[in-house]
Amino acid sequence: MSRQLARRRPFTGGRIRDSIRQLRFTFRDPVLLQSILIVFVVVLLFIIIPLFTILKESLVYQGRLSLRHYIEIFRLPYNIDTIWNTIRLGAAVSALGTAVAFLFAYATTYLKIPHKRLFRILAILPMISPPFVISLAAILLFGRSGLITRSLLGIRSDIYGFWGLLLTQTLSFFPVGYLMLTNLLQNIDPSIEEASQALGASRWKVFLTVTLPLMVPGLANAALLIFIQSLADFGNVIVIGGNYTTMAVQIYQQGIGSYDMAGATALAVVLLLISMFAFYLQQVVIGKKSYITVTGKAAKERVLIRNKVTTIPIYIVCISISVLVVGMYALVPYGAFVRLWGADYSFTDRWIRYVLTIGRRYILDSTTLAVIATPIAGILGIVSAFLIVRKRFPGKKIIESSILMAIALPGTVIGLGYVLSYNAPPLILTGGALILVVALVIRSMPVGTRSAIAALKQIDPSIEEAANICGASSHKVFTSVTIPLIKPVFFSSMVYAFIRGMTLVSTIIFLVSARWQMLTVAIMNQVDQGLYGAANAYCLVLIIMVGFVMIAMSFILKRMSINIGEGY
Amino acid sequence: MKRVVSTILKTLLIATVIAVGSTVAVSAGGGQETETLTIYAGLLEEHAALVAQEFQKATGIKTSFVRMSGGEILARIRAESANPQASIWYGGGSLTFIEADKLGLLEHYKSPTAEVIPDQLKDPNGAWTGIYSGYLGFVADQEWLDSVGMPMPKVWDDLLDPRLKGELVYAHPGSSSTAYNVLVTMLQLKGEEAGWEYLQRLNENVRQYTKSGSGGGRMIQLHECGVTIGYLHDAIAFKREGYDHIVFTAPADGTGYEIGAVAIIKGAPELEAAKKFVDWCLTPAAQELGKTVNALQFLTNPDAVPPEEVIQLKNTKLIKQDDEWAGANRSAFLEKFNTLTRTTPPK
Repeated sequence: MSRQLARRRPFTGGRIRDSIRQLRFTFRDPVLLQSILIVFVVVLLFIIIPLFTILKESLVYQGRLSLRHYIEIFRLPYNIDTIWNTIRLGAAVSALGTAVAFLFAYATTYLKIPHKRLFRILAILPMISPPFVISLAAILLFGRSGLITRSLLGIRSDIYGFWGLLLTQTLSFFPVGYLMLTNLLQNIDPSIEEASQALGASRWKVFLTVTLPLMVPGLANAALLIFIQSLADFGNVIVIGGNYTTMAVQIYQQGIGSYDMAGATALAVVLLLISMFAFYLQQVVIGKKSYITVTGKAAKERVLIRNKVTTIPIYIVCISISVLVVGMYALVPYGAFVRLWGADYSFTDRWIRYVLTIGRRYILDSTTLAVIATPIAGILGIVSAFLIVRKRFPGKKIIESSILMAIALPGTVIGLGYVLSYNAPPLILTGGALILVVALVIRSMPVGTRSAIAALKQIDPSIEEAANICGASSHKVFTSVTIPLIKPVFFSSMVYAFIRGMTLVSTIIFLVSARWQMLTVAIMNQVDQGLYGAANAYCLVLIIMVGFVMIAMSFILKRMSINIGEGY
Repeated sequence: MKRVVSTILKTLLIATVIAVGSTVAVSAGGGQETETLTIYAGLLEEHAALVAQEFQKATGIKTSFVRMSGGEILARIRAESANPQASIWYGGGSLTFIEADKLGLLEHYKSPTAEVIPDQLKDPNGAWTGIYSGYLGFVADQEWLDSVGMPMPKVWDDLLDPRLKGELVYAHPGSSSTAYNVLVTMLQLKGEEAGWEYLQRLNENVRQYTKSGSGGGRMIQLHECGVTIGYLHDAIAFKREGYDHIVFTAPADGTGYEIGAVAIIKGAPELEAAKKFVDWCLTPAAQELGKTVNALQFLTNPDAVPPEEVIQLKNTKLIKQDDEWAGANRSAFLEKFNTLTRTTPPK
């Protein structure tokens, strides 16, 4: 209904009248109004206000409005180097990561190859661990005294820097792209591809002219998401970056190391502008084209590709990456049970005991908070996506761009934004659990929103309109038409929210308090102090818990006969 | 599923309102029932945990802590200054404390137990009091030294040896108080001009500037680099853990030192408990807790028995250190350092 309204929008002077009309429709529907209000309050309090605080901090010099901090950034040559470093790395990781993600997604949904179950698990394994695991493992495998480089190849290589970062960031961030692309690939109706094949197109031609064009929004999305994650990455750069400094680290050094919070916030704003520009580019790529397939659902079972020319090379690439990932993760339990990394490889239970005594409060707090944040993030994500794609209401653009911008915010900055905004009356949140839950929600919800938007755009709104015309309220339409259509996205974004909740580092470092602690902060402390045994033991506990929850979740969902990509 | 979503949404809104309300109420009401103390700890986690536990045992005050690096603690109490969340800042280099005091973030308190502590180890106005001290020195991987046939560096100029190219790692002064101490030690030992020249030449050999002061030691642990500059007590601790390949020396031509300090945060919500903590943590018994958890520094209380491992360093030649000057020039020095090292990046 609202869509029809949009089409009939008058050319002149219609803006305000239009808004009023939208408002009237909104008021007629209390559930809709409520959801808009909730999303709006959340966005205002936890994205816009903290951002505004940061912007304010960056623009004030000696009590007056000034661009001094920005001029300062561009005056110093090493800052400019840092900006280029960040962009170059982001672009490279984004390209490589999207390619790997697509390869895995395509292999697991389209190809007839062995070990698919293994690939599905391995493609998301890097997500369920804090960012240090991969870079630490990379050093232990490929560093100067690495197991592979030194012991096998006999070279004293240097993994610190661009190439090490490219490797670790690609492995760390391709899983998000994989989840996103798998969902979209599963939703492509095979009959479209079969039709084109029946009309005489070769497999390759079908891929190029049907599958790939349908995937454009998904690919652009994945590339953007990976790019932004690379921009904001802190853990990998700290461990393996060497002298290759990126902006996320520079912000930390400026703000924490040099006590120059204003300079740090100015850098953060520049970083944000870069992400926004990437976002804009992505919009240009997707353009105004339509990517709707009638139901957005696969109506029948897909006939898998068996052609060996296709399957064998893809299989080889996937299995090599998988072996690499397995190798890296095998180091975690190994490291948790050896006495001393690098010196004494005899067995000990000392670290596990350490983690289960001193570390117990971290484990309990982290799990509690992640469990609370998960459903909130999942629901808010899908509701906001639904509102953005399907509804028209005043302030929609603000909500949409704020949520999507939240992905691009470096964690340290948003954490500081919270502390600066909510440590004084009228609203005091620091020191409590609520602010941590909020941080976890805000860090994972936008990703859910993005994938739900992509999924919704594939579904023709006529189905929902039909239900609406037949008399269903918008809440009814949402729960009995929209949700069932995008169920997999909903649940995979919940899974993502939980994982993110358990593995987030940079945002919460400023928000943990004596009353509420987080596991990842404990791991970071151990890495910082050089206690690898304890760090590995923490990681092991974390991975086991996340794995357990994921298995439990997929079991429960199976009972509810929802299939979220089988493997996870 | 039908009504579930809307019900959850409503519950969510209500829950948020209640949670916000109760948080405000709790922070306004303040818990008077049992005495509590919150600590921001800048030292090893195990050490902080033990100290919190022992203090709680000794006084009955319920004590909890968060462990962060010194810079993080400063950034945090600065951000929280309108409504401090913790009362005590325990551990971390005195330079950071001086900076915090300049920003007016510390409550001045002269503890009666601090009287025995030598003047150079505490702030004259009682802003902070030293709890331990440690010396800067060279730390190396003996296996690597043997493999290139190099002797252990003895004086600062030995670090300019071309054989060390790409093998020297230490922290970035911008993020680590340890490394900033190295920087100002060089300026004080050699004089400003020669000091900068030295740092630039040293940069030729540096492979990487790590984030934290312990980063270089960590890389030595794993044979990832040949030599690093850091606090010797960290190296001793690694060695005691069982990393036998680690060797260390104090520079023969003089070196800088760090004072680890304790302070009360301005506007401390638990001021009385905080004062008790400062009184308690300066006692010999409390200071000696460190050695049981591998924190092997010199102790500031003359009556406390330092760990036997550090006694060998007792005769180290120390420079005359001006922390006020070092703190005041920090931004200028850091900018100069950044410009010097980035314009000629190490290969």
